[in-house]
Amino acid sequence: MKTMQQGWLSNWLVKHEVVHRSLIFDHRGIETLQIKAGDWDSIAIILYVYGYNYIRSQCAYDVAPGGSLASVYHLTRIQYGIDNPEEVCIKVFSQKDNPRIPSVFWIWRSADFQERESYDMVGISYDNHPRLKRILMPGSWIGWPLRKDYITPNFYEIQDAH
Amino acid sequence: MATAAASSFLSPAAKFALQSRCPSAKTAPRSVRFPPVRAQQEVKEEEPAATVPPLQEEQATAAAAAAKGPAQSLPRQPLAESKNMGREYGSQWLSCTTRHVRIYAAYIDPETNAFDQTQTDKLTLMLDPTEEFVWTDETCQMVYNEFQDLVDHYEGAPLSEYTLRLIGSDLEHYIRKLLYDGEIKYNMRSRVLNFSMGKPRVKFNSSQMPDVK
Repeated sequence: MKTMQQGWLSNWLVKHEVVHRSLIFDHRGIETLQIKAGDWDSIAIILYVYGYNYIRSQCAYDVAPGGSLASVYHLTRIQYGIDNPEEVCIKVFSQKDNPRIPSVFWIWRSADFQERESYDMVGISYDNHPRLKRILMPGSWIGWPLRKDYITPNFYEIQDAH
Repeated sequence: MATAAASSFLSPAAKFALQSRCPSAKTAPRSVRFPPVRAQQEVKEEEPAATVPPLQEEQATAAAAAAKGPAQSLPRQPLAESKNMGREYGSQWLSCTTRHVRIYAAYIDPETNAFDQTQTDKLTLMLDPTEEFVWTDETCQMVYNEFQDLVDHYEGAPLSEYTLRLIGSDLEHYIRKLLYDGEIKYNMRSRVLNFSMGKPRVKFNSSQMPDVK
């Protein structure tokens, strides 16, 4: 554990249960935590119960051509009368050959389409998502377009400008 | 995913059932079958150009397809529940549509233009419904042969829109190659003359890029 400035959330996590997570802190002043996919289920419920009732966005990206896939969640608390809501950013990494991450659909409904988009673009399949299918690409598309090793097929419609 | 269970494959039998909708030698000139409106079109536009009467087959196809529209021409077929026709797929047929190439995984009756989606082992190709190019029997046959080759090449691939899109895209590339080789040329009497495959040049293949000195 690095001794640099740690956010209060990681301290809280350490204090309450020793949960397997490591801290990658401060990208914009927002705490960023990395959580294992196996623990993500319980941590998500803990965060929801704590008060993070709003998932601001969920995205996924391909970390490196031979590396892993990341699924990123920005959580915040929406409440009447709060000016600067506290935010936290969670990253869940998974390997590329069989990427599966527990879905947070049942906790935060707005993750529905966002997880479908992450599935469509990068290929992470979310367990317990009720309708996980492609949302941007046509239903029968093959391949994960936003992976770094994806090669676009030579479709005629994609042409160089004359 | 549910798609795995319902997919079907491009079978070898498909190649025997290919139809190509273009003025080929198979379709006899038919002047009796069409309503007077289309016959008038034929007289006005096709007569001076001296094209074969079956060209209006394409007009009929285009007019019928445009008039009916794909969504309305789909009859309720209880037999069509299988093979990706289910409600979660939008109850659509499998198709790939670009400007010059329309491929449908269905059997389209040449006379009545009725879709029969239950027969998804057949692929129907409608070639250039908007008549951007001037087609002859030989050029149509060349495209048809290329279509046949492509379907043979993709044999065994899952029958999905993705595969049809790949086939259609390869066909469009082939049509553009025909244009650049001079086998076909633009139809100057088309309704939408926008030279979608490049502005006409003296020699298409002479130099692809201008000299930059």
